[in-house]
Amino acid sequence: MVEAQIVLRGLEKVYRVHEREAGMGASIRSLFQRKYKDVRAVDNVSFSVDAGEIVGFLGPNGAGKTTTLKMLSGLLHPTGGETHVLGHVPWKRESAYLKNIGLVMGNRNQLTWDIPALDSFAVNQAVYDIPETAYRQTLNELIELLDLGNIIKKPVRNLSLGERMKCELAASLLHRPKVLFLDEPTLGVDVSMQGRIRQFVAEHNAKYGATILLTSHYMADVTALCKRIIVIHRGRLLYDGPIDTLSERIAPFKLVTVDVENEEAAAQVAQFGEVTEQDGLKVTLRLPRTETSAVVARLLQELPILDLTVADPPIEAVIEQVFQEAPKDEVLA
Amino acid sequence: MKYWLNLYRANLRVAIANMLQYRFTILIWAVWGFVGPLISLAVWSAASAARGGTIVNKTTGASFAAGDFAAYFLVYMIFGHLMMSWDAFEFASRVQNGGLSPALLKPVHPIHRDAASNIAFKLTTSAMLLPVWALLFVMLKPHITLNAFSLLAIPALVLGAMLRYVLQYTLALAAFWTTRVDAINQLYNTLDSFLAGRIAPISLMPAWIAGFALYSPFRAMGSFPVELALGRVPAEQILPGFALQSVWLCVAILLLRALWTAGIKQYSSVGA
Repeated sequence: MVEAQIVLRGLEKVYRVHEREAGMGASIRSLFQRKYKDVRAVDNVSFSVDAGEIVGFLGPNGAGKTTTLKMLSGLLHPTGGETHVLGHVPWKRESAYLKNIGLVMGNRNQLTWDIPALDSFAVNQAVYDIPETAYRQTLNELIELLDLGNIIKKPVRNLSLGERMKCELAASLLHRPKVLFLDEPTLGVDVSMQGRIRQFVAEHNAKYGATILLTSHYMADVTALCKRIIVIHRGRLLYDGPIDTLSERIAPFKLVTVDVENEEAAAQVAQFGEVTEQDGLKVTLRLPRTETSAVVARLLQELPILDLTVADPPIEAVIEQVFQEAPKDEVLA
Repeated sequence: MKYWLNLYRANLRVAIANMLQYRFTILIWAVWGFVGPLISLAVWSAASAARGGTIVNKTTGASFAAGDFAAYFLVYMIFGHLMMSWDAFEFASRVQNGGLSPALLKPVHPIHRDAASNIAFKLTTSAMLLPVWALLFVMLKPHITLNAFSLLAIPALVLGAMLRYVLQYTLALAAFWTTRVDAINQLYNTLDSFLAGRIAPISLMPAWIAGFALYSPFRAMGSFPVELALGRVPAEQILPGFALQSVWLCVAILLLRALWTAGIKQYSSVGA
């Protein structure tokens, strides 16, 4: 029986922000009378993650992903609700807890800028009290898997973004954290490096059974690594389940692409459903899942069709649709 | 214990390597360290010359001739350098730009890393300044009289450096609540100039300031080790002097811990 390592129950984070209009008059008014607005960055979010799972945590900018990860890693104090990670309450920042987690943020760095990453690694060895043999072993593995051989001896400031990211990742993994939070680990990194980092994360998970919660704007990261995804939007949980059934549950439609014989037929396709794309005589329709077979039968019967394909929408499109159709009224208090 | 030794050794190595990247900055800081005492020395040398060579405080009976001033300010220059701390400046910017967050993910308090870099700075710069200090000693002919207690200046210097470090760090924590840490720092520096005996030896000050200075933390982390080295602390005042240093250090540590806990709560509620 696997136990839940990350548990969130009704987690909330409300930021109080000072609000004013632009301009001199507003500046002066705000000196005497401040207006504050409560922004609900994370609103009643509950889920749990089992040991060894890799879960994709998705949402558009400002959805509350980073805020959630910061609360889970103990950097932010929640306004309400409960969290337990590895049996600890994260915001208490007990050293037994911090020794077992890692947080990698694509836009933050822990490595000292002017010296080689290897020196910063040595500091982490001391900080996390890693025995010499274990340190050597992990370091050699990381050097091999992430191809760090040539780059850890150069000052960090001389590294490219991708190289630096690999070093940041290595620095966060030297103590073999049981739980790893990855916030946009492939941000700004080129495609081949993205692949490498992805592969590495998968291997790390398989080898050490680390639990990983990952956010990314690149769907390829998510589809390659995660069987399960959690989607949040405007601080609220929208979906939590297998990546495969996201489209069935949230976007119950299929894409039907037809090649027709002539322009007249191409124009008529629109009568059968919502046209999402048209390229000459090639037209793509979005059809409700339940009606797909009936509509396809009618299409074949009524129009001069050369070719027809039925496909599930790409995951990006599903996610995008989720965000567009999510309720907007209940978001900001 | 072994853990802490390893931690400081690793941090020191990195801090020294990092320090050597910025040779020019080190130079500026190091120069800044001896300009102040030299100016005070010049002023007091002129004053003592105008008074026939010696300045005497009639209430305390303390007397300083030109060579005594030279000894006081030269030793102060070195000790002041070894007790110096500048964390308020760096800490405030780390709180404001979120640079503190990566440090908060580590299972040790960030003060240890900062303290290691403070020590690294002193080690590196002292090595560079040694010839300058030696030259100044030769040129200014200080009148140094050591006594049986002069060696006690070493533990007093260590305690003073620790006290100054912890107290400055505590002040720096104000950055959790205000973006104007420099104002607090300004006040601290003003008090420090007078009460730590930087501008003038405390025994030459008017009685009411001197009385205040004697019990303040500023003298404990300022002129106390200097006076001890030069045999200017009467034997019966040595033990109370150490006691005062220890008490202030304990107070500073307790204050640091309390403010740190409250500050982190504040930091983590507004967005780390």
